Parts: sequence; structure tokens; C-alpha cells
Amino acid sequence: MEYAIETFSLTKTFSDWWGRNRVVAIDNLNLKVRTNEVFGLLGPNGSGKTTTLKVLLGLLHPTKGKAILLGGDATDPQINRRIGFLPEESYLYRYLTARETLNFYGQLFKLPAKVRKLRIEALLDMVGLKAVANRAVGTFSKGMARRIGLAQSLINDPDLLILDEPTTGLDPIGTRQIKDLILELAKRGKTILLCSHLLADVEDVCDRIAILYGGKVQVEGDVHELLQHSDKTEIIADRLSPAALEKIKRLLADEQAECTVSSPVDKLETFFINIVAAAQQQAVPTSGAESKWEISEFLAAKPDEHARQAAILDQLVSAGPSADEIAAISTQQVQPQPAPSPLADEDLLRRLTEQAGPPELKTVVAQPTQAKPSLEQLGKNILDELAGRPEPDKTQNPSASRPGDSNNA
Amino acid sequence: MHSIWAVAVNTIKQVIRLKIAAVFIVLLLVLLPVMGLKMTGDGTLMGRAQSFISYGLSLTGLLLALLTIFAAVYTLTSDIKDKQVYTVLTKPIRRYQFVLGKLLGVVLLDAGLLLLFSAIIYTITILLPTFIKADDAQLAQVRNEFFTARAFLKPAEPDISYELDQAYDKLRQAGEVPAGVNENPIARRNYRKELARRIGLRKRAAVVGEEMLLEFDNVRISDPNQSLFVRFKYDVAVNPPDLQIYSRWVVGDVRQVRLGGTLETPIYSMDRKDLIRTFREFEVPADAVARDGYLAITFLNVPLNDTVVIFPLEDGLELLYKADTFTANFIRAVLLVFVRLIFLAVLAVFAGSFLSFPVAVLLCLAVFTMANMSGFITESFGEESVGGNVSRIYYYSLKPLLGLLPQFDKQAASKFLVPARLLSWSLLAKMGSVTLCLKTLPLALLSLLIFSYREIAKVIV
Repeated sequence: MEYAIETFSLTKTFSDWWGRNRVVAIDNLNLKVRTNEVFGLLGPNGSGKTTTLKVLLGLLHPTKGKAILLGGDATDPQINRRIGFLPEESYLYRYLTARETLNFYGQLFKLPAKVRKLRIEALLDMVGLKAVANRAVGTFSKGMARRIGLAQSLINDPDLLILDEPTTGLDPIGTRQIKDLILELAKRGKTILLCSHLLADVEDVCDRIAILYGGKVQVEGDVHELLQHSDKTEIIADRLSPAALEKIKRLLADEQAECTVSSPVDKLETFFINIVAAAQQQAVPTSGAESKWEISEFLAAKPDEHARQAAILDQLVSAGPSADEIAAISTQQVQPQPAPSPLADEDLLRRLTEQAGPPELKTVVAQPTQAKPSLEQLGKNILDELAGRPEPDKTQNPSASRPGDSNNA
Repeated sequence: MHSIWAVAVNTIKQVIRLKIAAVFIVLLLVLLPVMGLKMTGDGTLMGRAQSFISYGLSLTGLLLALLTIFAAVYTLTSDIKDKQVYTVLTKPIRRYQFVLGKLLGVVLLDAGLLLLFSAIIYTITILLPTFIKADDAQLAQVRNEFFTARAFLKPAEPDISYELDQAYDKLRQAGEVPAGVNENPIARRNYRKELARRIGLRKRAAVVGEEMLLEFDNVRISDPNQSLFVRFKYDVAVNPPDLQIYSRWVVGDVRQVRLGGTLETPIYSMDRKDLIRTFREFEVPADAVARDGYLAITFLNVPLNDTVVIFPLEDGLELLYKADTFTANFIRAVLLVFVRLIFLAVLAVFAGSFLSFPVAVLLCLAVFTMANMSGFITESFGEESVGGNVSRIYYYSLKPLLGLLPQFDKQAASKFLVPARLLSWSLLAKMGSVTLCLKTLPLALLSLLIFSYREIAKVIV
């Protein structure tokens, strides 16, 4: 099956009780989400993202057109037993405890009691809510409710995961964990449809995106292709001496290329996570969700540990691992990032400036780091297009690596 | 079934944990014992027992009915309003299974609560004679007329078709039949029905100094040593000054007297003085019944009364005899209440499947109220009260709709338990199946259909 989700001229209009004020929420949508890709549905508020999901899942009837999920109709139990769905808010039964909530959804999938129990414990551990598993969900903070919401969407080991604004209400750590989880699930062959207006989230995890506006797809394509500036080059090097910098500038001047030099700035997300990780190492007490890095440790794949973690995740999604196994992994702490290297080798710099052969220098050539502004710029371009202004030139340059992989490296 | 059960259990948790049921449960737990201790009725032990069981069961039935309506409507509409359906209905559960699960949850909760409260009512009723000082006569009365289940027989309907034809022809010839009635089949039928009622009533009336004979054909009593009870209520043309009617009753096989010879079965006679418009009873030994099951009751309107005495057609005079135990009757009466709760649960789920919470609750309360006064409503809209085209419109529109309404007033548990009337299994099955199959099932199917095809989410753009 090439496509996990396919829509054909999907249209949804609605009007008031008297048939007036006809509004087009989705307009002839032809969406194709390939199997095993992370697809992002983007758009400003009211662009029809959530309505699209509701129609896909059979919660709304399309006015026209058809939606096919996993080769069938989403209201067919044979199909929707392979789908996991996290709505825009978690919409949980507030009187049930976290454990009961997962048990209830597990029962709907007719999971045998033993399997259900194992999966519930594994999921509770994974989302860091084991300590509050017997508390009513109604007393949870929004972020904690979101974690349970995510856990319920995974209880059936879905082939297709539909996530509507998965990171709303989550702290940066939770956001990062969900993003890591999405990437890990994608590695395991799942298809993920992510619906969000948080551009950073989408950019970090999605293979392809579609931008909706007014119920129509404005742009669709590979994230890298859409965002890459092929007319610019970025070189990342270890710390350089002022003399070396001068030489580089001169060299570039000879090539008649302009350049700006600055030290790389950490993303606030990374900085925040490091601070909290340090606090956790000192065992500062908290009443909130126990963010012990289960998701990142559990799912983020280090080369040597990848096989072991994959086995654990496989266990989780098939029968569920033992709680001890999970605990063993979850107790590992993230190591602080290594400090920047000392001054680079002068000799290396000299060779570079002598135009002898750049490959020996430890450099990383990648797309410009200003990716987020680029995406915003893209949104601006669309708005410009809608307003009838000329579209700036978009040059595309294919990229082989998944964006998240470089993020995790 | 697995999914239905999961939703049902979740529904029970919802109703209990959100304390929807708490008000009703606390109220009943407090009120029932207080009523048992404080209710005096007419001062006798019998009166206390009757009023407790009547008010206790009615109150339980009413509060559980309200709980059923609120809980069933809430559980469905809140799941839609608070959008839990988004996560539930995208799981492998059919929508009809979801609705059936909700229904099952409410019905199971009802069953549990009804079991609890009827057990409390039963225990208090059974214990009443032990903590109330009553003399032997009162204890005997309670034993014979309350802690029992008695079959009730109505007098054989006399054949009045000849009289009816005669009367109708006479009126028509005299030109007293209203214009158009003879030509219109519906109007004619209604007119003749009213005429038949009047003739029947005339046969249930005794003028001063005259006798009125009421015959029973099929009195089957297994034990001739037991007692029969004649239950009656007087209606009068003119109220006597002390509101009492003096009477002489003769009960037995009066055919023996007409034929002459020795009496095979005894004939009993007694003089009485009874309050008008109130149910009264007297006891007669069962050996008065002839072998073929015949029994005649003669009422003499003694001249002292100075008014015509009428026995209302519906329940003016009945013959009762012990046919089962109080406990068995009580269980069946409770089942009757349960049938009512099932109807209400289905009605509430039906309303909740397409209406918002307040509107659905109001609709259910309206139907519940109408079902509780179905007799009055049927009479008010009755064919007799209107004529001509209005009658025709009523006949084809409103009447079938009213037919869908259950008749809670005619199926009240206290109607059986207060006079210790037998509610037989067959009668229970008949009433239950009419309510469940004809009135509940179509509503249930309709709600499944509506919920299966409606849009669950709202478009928000």
C-alpha cells in the first residue's frame, strides 16, 4: 500500500440551521500521505486542519469526496483498530484514573487482560505518569493530560498515528520527548500525520508537509526541499582565532562572497532541557510529571543501544515489556553536552587558507541554521501569494537525511 | 459485547463518581426509614403499612425515574459536548455499541439501586407489625388484607347489546341522536359507546329500597377454608348527612334459593355501614362459592339511605381471594417499576442522541409526566370530547401517538401492593412486553439509527 491516507476531492461545507452562511471548511482536498512517513498538516487557526482530521476519522461526513485510510473507511473497526488518534485536546474522562483510562481504551481494542496490563504499565512508564497512575485524570495539569492522551493513542500499537497539536500544553521537555517519540515510531514503520501550527515541531520531525489555508492546500512537499536555501553555504567549524577568521574573510572576498561570522547559539529548547536535566540529577523534588527522560532515553537511538531499545519497543507494541526492563532504561540520565573544543589547530587553518584542500578540515556543510525564519518566510510568501504579491524564488535542493536524525546526532 | 460492556462499566463509574446519583441515593436512604417510622396512614397498622409501601415505592420509583433520565441524558450528551466521543468512537467500536453500552450502564445502575431500595422498603414493611403495638384484630387484618396477594375478579359483564340497539333506535326515532352521528361511522361508534356506558352504569346502580345483583362466574378457589374478600366503593347521587351508606349484603349461590330445596353451599348475609367514595372490604368464607364457580353478591340499598347508590364501573366492586404470597407479589411489583425505568433509560438515550442536555431532559420529563397521567390525557383527548372533523383528525394523528405513550398510572406498583392485589406473572409479562416491545424497542432502534448516522463533531473554522 503506497498511501496510508488518501483523499479525493474531499470537501466539507457547513451552514446554519436555516441553510444560510455557507462556509467552505475544506475545499477539494487531495491529500496523499505515504506509508511510513511523517506528514505535517500546517495552517493558521481556522484553516481547516482539524476539520480535515475529523472528516478523515468519520466524525464529520464529507459534503463531497472520499477519504481512504489504510485502504479503507476509518469508521470500519477493522481499519480503525490500526489507527491511533490524539485529538487537539486530550478529551479524557476526568473521573477515571490514568490507569483506568488506558484500561478503558485497551478494552475497546479487545486486548486480552494480560497484554493490556503490560502495555498500560509500559505506557505509563513511558509518559512518566506511573507515580500518579491512580489519580483521577481530572486533577491532572494540561501537560499531564496530554501525556495520557498520547498514551491512549498508542495502546493499540497503531500503524497510523494521527496527532492533532500533540505538544500543546507540554513543557519543552515533554515537547522534545514527543518529537523524539514521533521520530522513533517513524523509524519503526509507522505512518504519522501531524497537525499543528507550531512550526518548530513540524519542522523538526516531518518528512513532508502541506500548508492549508482556507481549506485548500497552498503548498505541499518535502520539508527540506521547501526550506533549503541552495544559494547559500554554511560552514560550521571549531572555535577559530581572529587571525584565522581574517584569513577566511580574505579568501571569501577573493571569491566575491559575503560572509557573516558568529558563534552558534543553542536553541532555547536544548538549553532548557540541559538545565532541567541538571536539576534532576540533584534530585530536586517536584509534584508534576516525572520527566525522567523516559521517552528520549527509551526511544532516541544511540547506535550501540539501538538494537536493545528496539527490542524493548517491539515488546511494548506487541505484548509489552516488563516494568523492570523499562525502569532500567528510564533511570539512565542524559549526560551534559561536552564543552566546546579548545582552539582549532592553527596548522589546519593555515592549510585551509592556503587553498590546499578543504576536506581535511572538520567542517559540517548543511542548510543554513536559520531554518525557522525560513519557514515563517515561507508562510509569508503564501500570504503574499494570496494577497497577489509576487512570489520569491524558491530553489529546491534535495536532501537525503531526515531532519530529526541531524537533530539527534 | 466486550466493547459494550466496557462502555457500560465506564457509564456506571461516571454516574457514581460524578455524584449524579448521590443526591437521589442519600435522599432515599434518609427518607425511607423516616417514612417507615413516621407514617401513620389512618392510624391502624394496616393504614401504616399501606401508606408506607405506597409512598415508599412511589418515591423510590419517582426518584429513580428522575435519576435515570438525568444520568442517561447526561452520560451521552456530556460525552458529545466534552468530546470524549472523539477518542472513543475512533476506536474499533460501532456507534450502536457505544449507545447500547451507555444504555446497559444506566439500566444496570437502576437495577442495583432498585434492588437496594426495594430491599429496604420490604424489610421495613415486614418489620412494621413488630415495632408497632397492634391488637390481634389489626394483626389479622394485615395478614389477610395486606401481607398476601389476592386475585381479583370483576362481576360478569351482562350482555347489553339488545338493550343498546333498542335504546339507540329509540333515540334515533325520537330525533335525539345529534345530526351527522348516524352517517359518520366513527361518531356513531363513539355515541353508541357512551350509550353502552350509561346502560352499564344503570345496572350498577341501586335505587332506594331495591336490590342490585352482581354475579361472578369463574371463582376458582383451591382451599374452601380460606376467605373471600368483597371490595367495594360507593358513589351516591346525593351525599347522606353522615356520608355513610347503610346496606345489607347477601353472598352465596342464590340460585339455590330460586330453585328451592336444601342449601348445598351456605349463603351469608350481613348488615353494614360504610363511608362513601372510599374502598371498603368485608370477608366471606370461601365455601359460599358454588361448585361450578358461581357466586352472587346482592346489595340492598336500605330505605334509610334516601339516595341512589352506584358502584363505579371500573373498580366499584371486586371479589378478592388469596392467590400468592406478599413477597412474590412484591418482587413482581418491583419488576414493574424496573420495566418503567428501562423505558425511561431508552427514552433518555433517544433524546440525548440528538438533543442537548437541557432540551433532552425537558423532553423526557414531559413524556414521563404524560405517561403518569395517561388515563387523564386519553380521556381529555377522547373521541367523546370532540366531534366532527376534529374527531377525525384526532383519530388519525394524535391517537396513534398517544398509543405510543406507556401507561405508568395504570401500571403503578402501589395499585397492586396497597390492596394486596395479585400481580400475576402473566399480567406482568403482558404489561412488560407491551411497554418493552411496543413502546421501548422502536424508540431504542430509532436512537441507534440517529446516533449511527449523525455527525458527532462540529465544524469549527
